[in-house]
Amino acid sequence: MNANESKTTFSRFSTVTKYLGRYRWYLVVGVLAVIGANGLMLVPPYLTKLIFDRLETGSPMSEVGLLVLAMIGLSIASGICRFTIRRTIIWMSRHLEYDIRGELVAHLLKLSPSFYDKNRTGDIMARATNDLEAVRMMIGPAMMHIANTLVVATGALTMMAMLSPRLTLYALIPALVFPISMNKLGNMIHRRFLKIQEHFAHLTAVCQENLSGVRVVKAYRQEDHEIENFADLSEHYFKLNLSLGRLHAAFYPLFQLVATSLMLVVLYVGGRDVIRGEIELGTVVAFFLYLGMLTWPLIAIGWVVSLYQRGTVSLDRINQILNTTSDIPTGCAEPKSDEKSVRGKVEFRDLNFAYDEAPILNDLSLTVEPGQTLGIVGLTGSGKTTLVALLARLYPVARDQLFVDDIDINDWDINALRRRIGFTAQEPFLFSATVADNIRFGRADASIDEVAQVAQLAALAKDVDEFPDRYETMVGERGITLSGGQKQRVAIARAAMIEPTILILDDATSSVDTETEYEINQRINAHAEQLTTFIVSHRVSSVKDADQIIFLEDGRIIEQGNHEVLITLGRRYADLYRAQVLAEQLESL
Amino acid sequence: MVANNYHEEEALGKVYDARLMKRLLTYLRPYRVAVVSAAFMLLVVSLLQVAVPHLMKIAIDDYIGKNDLDGLTNIGLLFAAVLVAGAAVRYGQTYLTIWLGQKVLHDIRQQVFAHLQRMNLAFYDKNPVGRLVTRVTSDVNTLNEIFSSGVVAIIGDLFTLALIVGVLLHYNWRLALITFTVVPLLVAVTFVFRAKVRNVYREVRARVAHINAFLQEHVTGIKVVQLFNQEDSAFRKFDEINLSLRAAHFRSIYYYAMFFPTVEIISTLAIGLVLYFGGFRIESGLMTFGELVAFITLVEMFYRPIRDLSEKYNILQASMASSERIFNLLDTSSTIVSPTSPCKLEHCTGRIEIENLWFAYNNDDWVLKDVSFSVEPGQKIAIVGATGAGKSSLISLFYRFYDYQRGSIRLDGIELKQMAIDSLRSHLALVLQDVFIFSGDIAGNVRLRDDDISDDQVREALHRVGFDRFLRRFEDDIGSEVRERGATMSTGQKQLLSFARALAHDPDILMLDEATSSVDTETETLIQSALERLFEGRTSIIVAHRLSTIEKADRILVLHHGELRESGTHRELMRQQGIYHKLYRLQSRKQAVRIGKD
Repeated sequence: MNANESKTTFSRFSTVTKYLGRYRWYLVVGVLAVIGANGLMLVPPYLTKLIFDRLETGSPMSEVGLLVLAMIGLSIASGICRFTIRRTIIWMSRHLEYDIRGELVAHLLKLSPSFYDKNRTGDIMARATNDLEAVRMMIGPAMMHIANTLVVATGALTMMAMLSPRLTLYALIPALVFPISMNKLGNMIHRRFLKIQEHFAHLTAVCQENLSGVRVVKAYRQEDHEIENFADLSEHYFKLNLSLGRLHAAFYPLFQLVATSLMLVVLYVGGRDVIRGEIELGTVVAFFLYLGMLTWPLIAIGWVVSLYQRGTVSLDRINQILNTTSDIPTGCAEPKSDEKSVRGKVEFRDLNFAYDEAPILNDLSLTVEPGQTLGIVGLTGSGKTTLVALLARLYPVARDQLFVDDIDINDWDINALRRRIGFTAQEPFLFSATVADNIRFGRADASIDEVAQVAQLAALAKDVDEFPDRYETMVGERGITLSGGQKQRVAIARAAMIEPTILILDDATSSVDTETEYEINQRINAHAEQLTTFIVSHRVSSVKDADQIIFLEDGRIIEQGNHEVLITLGRRYADLYRAQVLAEQLESL
Repeated sequence: MVANNYHEEEALGKVYDARLMKRLLTYLRPYRVAVVSAAFMLLVVSLLQVAVPHLMKIAIDDYIGKNDLDGLTNIGLLFAAVLVAGAAVRYGQTYLTIWLGQKVLHDIRQQVFAHLQRMNLAFYDKNPVGRLVTRVTSDVNTLNEIFSSGVVAIIGDLFTLALIVGVLLHYNWRLALITFTVVPLLVAVTFVFRAKVRNVYREVRARVAHINAFLQEHVTGIKVVQLFNQEDSAFRKFDEINLSLRAAHFRSIYYYAMFFPTVEIISTLAIGLVLYFGGFRIESGLMTFGELVAFITLVEMFYRPIRDLSEKYNILQASMASSERIFNLLDTSSTIVSPTSPCKLEHCTGRIEIENLWFAYNNDDWVLKDVSFSVEPGQKIAIVGATGAGKSSLISLFYRFYDYQRGSIRLDGIELKQMAIDSLRSHLALVLQDVFIFSGDIAGNVRLRDDDISDDQVREALHRVGFDRFLRRFEDDIGSEVRERGATMSTGQKQLLSFARALAHDPDILMLDEATSSVDTETETLIQSALERLFEGRTSIIVAHRLSTIEKADRILVLHHGELRESGTHRELMRQQGIYHKLYRLQSRKQAVRIGKD
């Protein structure tokens, strides 16, 4: 995930703490409510003791009644506090989740394509959802439980010590086993759990591979062997789960054993003291109740520890994204050009580019005058797409190598430049929205007439007329499926919508038939005469009429000139042209 | 694929569906004994749990109350014994339940995987691999909760509740009835809570799905967003969804914040009632102190399962949704199956006859139209044609990856549909255009999972295709690691490896879909000589792109727009000056452009 150089490194928790200030009142009230709720809960056991004492001495029932009423009153007050805890602390955690998710997505939207090339979509999504949830659990519920535990433990222990220091001491001896054994058990569970996760990942990978290679599996009749192999993996997974199960199974009984043995100690020691007349029965009963209050917070400690562990790991994963910066400078302090007056002159000067180590473009020099059309042809991997991607600033370019209107591309305000560039790719990405919304993606305020106008330009209007809701038809998964050619034409319309000065068609008509393609080119040229156009194509027919054509190989221009010149040259371009003429003839047979 | 899943998840099923539950329970049938033992142990656990307060009562009334220290010691020991026994039985019961749950998951996982292995290719065309993997892995795991903490735990809770009610009535039925007066209140509160939470839970799920869909879409389309300067408007759109999710969460917090304290107040109310009315009874000698203590403890125990309820509710809901998806998959059966009484083909000569073959992937979109030809044993047939002419489809029909609609394909006179699929495929070997390499080692990619093929046979096959020269560069010979999709190998190496795979399985008929991607000259020579070895002495059908392969074929079939237009040797077809002639010239052009040597 270290896609780009990280320049600012936040300390781990600053992602969270910088928002905490906003919610300080939630925090203050929340903590007060925790203290209130638990403090109030400490009283009823004592009241129970008083009731028992009264009953033993035979005091009037009205006193008992009052005590009972006090108990219920306290419970209501404590209930209100508990409501407040959730309403403040958990509430705050949802606020923080919203804030951090917003920050994360805003940041993601600004990261350059090289980040997305290196990170899988699923992984990025997991960080914005699952990891964020783990962080929230750490801020919200874990915080609530830890506060609870602290208050209850101190309160209950104080009350117990006040009632009978000796009995408290006895009760605490088995209680000491708790943190120690739980911690040890917790560690063991954690280790086994990791093993299970690892094996699960393996099992998933095997399954994924098997299903992706299903043709080979079937052709070589490996189904039964695959099933057997999978059964072994599943069996191993079963055994690993059982080994964890043995611990899980021990967890609860062990906990209960310790908890109830506390009661046993109190019952025995306390009972003896009652017989000797040293304490009252009510004290013993109150002790039971306090012990009951202590058990939950003790388990919660283990839980909180694991929430904390998971939370910090997830927080680190989120910080990794937040600490990644875009490798493309967003622009200069003072724009050197008014975007309205962009002419569309593009110049490459000894351009060199490499994604990682492997060079993609080498010493490429070329000038495209305003209003000119450049055709770029070459084999797959020759650097055609990279060349135009650099112009659209999808990847960083070194200084003094690429100029637009004689200004270094790095000095352009990135948004101003992009507003002047219309870009379409071979496999255009459409959003699951209406046809109209896809077309006016770059200009949300465009009217439906304007949309229809550019659709006409892109030779899409006739297709749209046949869609069920015309321009309001949804595309994608929840709507109609467009053909490859239709998608490409929507993308061309989308690019034309922003009335660019520079139009880049990156193999944008590969699925459109030659006649329609010609039509589109004619219309676009007629519509915008001063349009500088870059056409990347596998098809010679797309670039035939260009003012200038370059043939790229291994990132170098090996042939350059217009169609006639290159045909006369009789080399690679001419070969390609003849092959395509033949293919067309074949098609028509 | 991810987006698909999220949309799917939006449609939430019922929380409890008796039909699904019944079907899930059938998986427990093989483990009847374990189920009964687990249930029995659970009863014992419940009994021992309820015994604790009862022992306390005896200790207080009979010993502490009567100043009997020896008796107290005895009851203390009994108490300890009950505790240890309780812990032991609970351990056994929990472990058995976990065992049971995992065993059933193991069974279901295998069943789903095996089912997928039997599905035909049209199914795979329609279902993205990622989604299918989710069914086998995550969805099956989600069911765990139903078996381990769902079914059994609920039975246990119900039994404990019943037991508590019984004991309370036994101690003092009047006081018990007074205590139970709060139960309707509790039921009402729980009922309202359940209804509210169900709706809000649905809302949360739908909005989480919405967020996921947004992320999926905008991460995939990030370039478009940036190129069109829509970062800010995309963020505004996201913020709306993010806000609506937060609002749904707030509602859910509110309900939980109301529910838990309310249950607690009700339980205090119950204890208050016990203390007050119990006090009266003690006053009038109708009840003992011990009974009162036991009563309070039992009433507290009574509320515990109710507090867990909301948790279990969410778990159950998720499990139901997963089981529905799994069962849907299991209920989809393969449309291509072996006949019930298949014709046997003992010895295959490799004679193939195709008659009036028609095939379409969908309805009337014919990919192959009325194709007829026959192949004699040992012949080498090259199929040529432009992209989309139906060449690869023809090959997949031999494997019955898909079924043809009309006409027939016969192998040694037997119609393919009359043969067992397994036996049919045992005579064929397929080399695909896009070589699929499994992660594992080199040997594993040659023999696949067929252990009958020895290491020596693997080496022999690798040697014959000329792969051994690369083998020397790998560290562990045929045991060298190969990464997923052959990431560490060159295109040429991958092709040779797939040839070795075909050779090692020694088929009667070879089907080859030649790769179009270019390789360096040296590898090209290697591949050409490996191909010769491959074709040696067996009927071969090749979707050919290499001029060398085409020229050396015994017969060339020219497919054009799904029709068989020309057939003959290279020489004959060139003389005809028809489609083949053009194709051949096109192919040599392409090869020239690709290799770049003029």
